[in-house]
Amino acid sequence: MKGIIVGIVLSSAVVSKLLAAQDDGLELGQLRQEVNELKQMMLELKQSNNKLKGFAEEDAVNVSSESELSKLKGTVNEMKTELEGNSKSGFQLAGYSSFDWADTQGEDNEFNGVKFAPIFLYQYGQLFQFEGEVEMKVKDDGTTDTELEYATGTLFLNDYMGLQMGKFMSPLGQFVQNLHPSWINKLPSTPVGFGHDGAAPTSNVGVALRGGLPKIANIRSNYALFISNAPTFGVADDGDIGIDASGKTTSSDVSKTWGGRFAVDPLSGMEVGISGATGKAAEELVFGDTIARDYDVFGIDLMYNINSIDVKAEYIQQKIGENILSPLKGGTWRAWYAQLSYQFSSLKIEPVLRYSDYHNPEQERNQWALGLNYLFANNVIAKLAYEYNTDEDDGAVNSSANNNRVLAQFAFGF
Amino acid sequence: MKSLLKFSILPWLLVMGLSTSAIADEVKADSINGAQLWSDTCMRCHNLREPADLSKRAWQYSMQHMRIRAGLTGKETRDILAFILELKTEHDSK
Repeated sequence: MKGIIVGIVLSSAVVSKLLAAQDDGLELGQLRQEVNELKQMMLELKQSNNKLKGFAEEDAVNVSSESELSKLKGTVNEMKTELEGNSKSGFQLAGYSSFDWADTQGEDNEFNGVKFAPIFLYQYGQLFQFEGEVEMKVKDDGTTDTELEYATGTLFLNDYMGLQMGKFMSPLGQFVQNLHPSWINKLPSTPVGFGHDGAAPTSNVGVALRGGLPKIANIRSNYALFISNAPTFGVADDGDIGIDASGKTTSSDVSKTWGGRFAVDPLSGMEVGISGATGKAAEELVFGDTIARDYDVFGIDLMYNINSIDVKAEYIQQKIGENILSPLKGGTWRAWYAQLSYQFSSLKIEPVLRYSDYHNPEQERNQWALGLNYLFANNVIAKLAYEYNTDEDDGAVNSSANNNRVLAQFAFGF
Repeated sequence: MKSLLKFSILPWLLVMGLSTSAIADEVKADSINGAQLWSDTCMRCHNLREPADLSKRAWQYSMQHMRIRAGLTGKETRDILAFILELKTEHDSK
């Protein structure tokens, strides 16, 4: 029995030893497995680290690209500034040009007009602008006629007032100051009496105050007031007696002309203006003395544009008083016109009808003009027109005022 | 009397203008009002020029030129310019 018990005890001890040894083996295996897992993790960490290093390098490249882009932007801006001048001042070239053809009754047809009228604009901030227009025309003999249409500086005193100095287009009426450029005028010719030496003053040398006024009862309005040198009166080179109301740099010892225009916009797209001026006109007598004649101007004008219908009308007159020292009689030079046009924007064509009338102490002229325009673009226009001219007295020297004409013109503004 | 009037009116207006120069406010331009003015005032005289016809800078000069010709106030000029430049931004970036 003792032997059995001892055997059992010994067996138990051996078994427990064996079991303990087995436990140690298991632990070692687990440890080995853990070490392997740790190795794997280390490897993964290394790989992750390498990846992160790669991203960091890429970011560095991106940062470099951004700084290069920023540098490039800076260079472009510098070049832009250099090209355009400093931020406050700069130039712009605008203007218009036209080429004319005419077939006049009783004469051969001819290419009768080439005009180039560049306008230079210089601006200093919102404070000052200079504008000058030089009109160049090819004459019959092939030489070029160059005229400074206007050269004026405007100092903007506030939102409602600009002080204009120099030679400026006459603020009286509307056609001369705003509608005469060939890309704006809807017919190839000017209404009778609205050209140079007609009934409408063309330009002044002096100073003017002008601008828009604050709205009153929701109606916009604008004004122009001026003082300028006097016009002259006398016999022109073509033999006609007339008023030369283009700007001069002398007042010929007669008093200045002063006047202005006031206009309101009673409806959307409509402007109605009234103009007036008074002063003296200078007349040089044959023996060299200069005398003064009373000089007065009056005008009204209308412009209305609605739904592609365009209406323009204007009346203007210049009156010269008498002077017993002069053999030339005074009188009134007056002209008016009314014009209607409609723009078929889908077809890009525009029919125009205009009637104009001009009266002076020597002449009574009127004209019907019917035209058709094709708009290649809003500022590139081909015009074809027929003029029916009547000279009631036919008294003008070398007058061809009775001759009807077919006119064509290609005009563009830039 | 005429002489007295003409030599007194303009200087008086000039002084008035200079004394009110602060009126030229810096209120932000209103392009909606500019659109209305654009169709009302520009088309009265001439066909409308497309915004793409001129650069942004050229439009600034042209509008100042037209301020004198069309009798616009400074604010109206800025409104029309804002409208044109807005159209330009939509269609071209010159």
